[in-house]
Amino acid sequence: MKESSASASDPRQPATAKMYVPPKVSPQDLPIDYAGFLAVVFGFAGLMFRYKLCSWLAIIFSVQAIANMKNFENDFKQISMATMFGIMGLVTSYLGPSRPAKPQS
Amino acid sequence: LLLLLSAATFVPLRLLAAQRHFEGFEDASDVVDDDDPFDSQPSIPSPSLSLSVSSPEAPSDPITPPPPSPIDASELWDEDEFEGIPITNPISSPADLDPVPVQDPSLLPADSPKPSSRPLRSYTIEIVCISFLIAFTLNYFIGRRENELIALAWASKFATKDSIFDKNFSLLGAGEHKDAPLLLKEARDVFKFWASGRRCCKGLIATLELKSRHDLISRMWEMVFMKKDTITFEVMMNDDAMDHVVLAVARRKASKAMQKETRDLQRFTSVLAWAPAGRKWVSEELAIVAESKEVTGDLITDVVLDQVFGEKAFEKFGKGFISLHFSDQYPGSHSKMLIFKFALPDAKNMADMTRLVALVPYYIDLIGHYKLSSQARSKTDAARSKAAQEAYKELQNARREALQKRKEEKRRFIDEAEAKFTVEAISKREEKERVRQSKKSKPRIKMMRSH
Repeated sequence: MKESSASASDPRQPATAKMYVPPKVSPQDLPIDYAGFLAVVFGFAGLMFRYKLCSWLAIIFSVQAIANMKNFENDFKQISMATMFGIMGLVTSYLGPSRPAKPQS
Repeated sequence: LLLLLSAATFVPLRLLAAQRHFEGFEDASDVVDDDDPFDSQPSIPSPSLSLSVSSPEAPSDPITPPPPSPIDASELWDEDEFEGIPITNPISSPADLDPVPVQDPSLLPADSPKPSSRPLRSYTIEIVCISFLIAFTLNYFIGRRENELIALAWASKFATKDSIFDKNFSLLGAGEHKDAPLLLKEARDVFKFWASGRRCCKGLIATLELKSRHDLISRMWEMVFMKKDTITFEVMMNDDAMDHVVLAVARRKASKAMQKETRDLQRFTSVLAWAPAGRKWVSEELAIVAESKEVTGDLITDVVLDQVFGEKAFEKFGKGFISLHFSDQYPGSHSKMLIFKFALPDAKNMADMTRLVALVPYYIDLIGHYKLSSQARSKTDAARSKAAQEAYKELQNARREALQKRKEEKRRFIDEAEAKFTVEAISKREEKERVRQSKKSKPRIKMMRSH
């Protein structure tokens, strides 16, 4: 679509060029990081009740959170916590003492 | 680095899982409990000893072991050495003396480690999760590459040397020095492109929001809830370049949703079922939401109709069109905005959207030089002044409420102080009164108002 009747002169004006200023986004209104949150919840559950499945889910969700990590300083703390929960949950459920003598449900 | 870390932790875990076969640690899903009550009941040390040495892991032999304590008592009770030790815990004494004697079969067989007859079923969780993690990691690299290819394909078509943006904007890409990358990678699935240095506008941000192909979970999620790759051009117009224009063009369903969501469309525009007589008009699929008919008629020019929005043209070129939104009352950091939203074709046929992208510079010039006629301006002025008053009133209400809240707090604070104050004051005053009464005639008490 050729430039219409507007002035045929070059539309570019280098003088008015401005650098890109990324808009400052305050940490509050960042989109909620569901993966990180789920990882923490499952990690905690896996650790407390020694469910292996919860610990594995925690590991999976924390890996997903790592993959989707946008700004480093904000998300890293939560994700590393979730990963630690998951790993600890796994370690306790595999290596730790056996489960307390609970009637086999 | 983090990924390596998490990958590194899996390897030992898997080793551990393998090694676990031999040590025969108790597994949550194993049915072992019929042993536990016996072991842990008699006394703490011996069961933990037996457990750590070789904890029972396969279901123990069918005959449930006879209670161990009575046998030990009869055989091991040695008169001269252990007088006075109650029978109840003979188990602990032998344990201290020497390892559990051989002829005490009941404890040992139950604990002896079964070589790994563990049914495969109990490993499904590990196998499923580890294979999912491997698939996730692989998909991460493949998906990220795919997204980058699409973004690069778009950039190479529209943003490189003597492409449409290069002809329209003097500064492309966000970097200072010359060979800075054209595209800004905000996330693995969001890329930004900045262009500036053109008449009538401050700058243009193109945001490529792609399907998050790098993340396996959301990739499956997006198969269920169809998400398309979209590109949004946000043009920030100069203040003098844009007149009172509020207009949105979208497909029928989307335009209703759009009108409800964005504030400026809600306040200024109404659905335009009208079509100018004697002229071609946009295709049936599209719906226009605008403030004034006249402005719409002027802005939807014949050129645009022939190229994109006309009946025939829309079938051919309009596939990728999602929405178009011009507004000088746009809520947000910059009020005079032109927003174009298109769907991105595949990396190979980026050329399909050439006409849609050509709309952007066309409309920048068109709106940049467009002046409203007098009567159209009067209507839009009235609407704007009404809106301005409403905004002002809202502001005042908000300020008044804040003021009231502050006054409320101050009053509550004073009341509390007063309450505290009055209790002490009363006790002090009574005491003063008593002293005064005893000395001279009762003085007149003046009630002190605290504020």
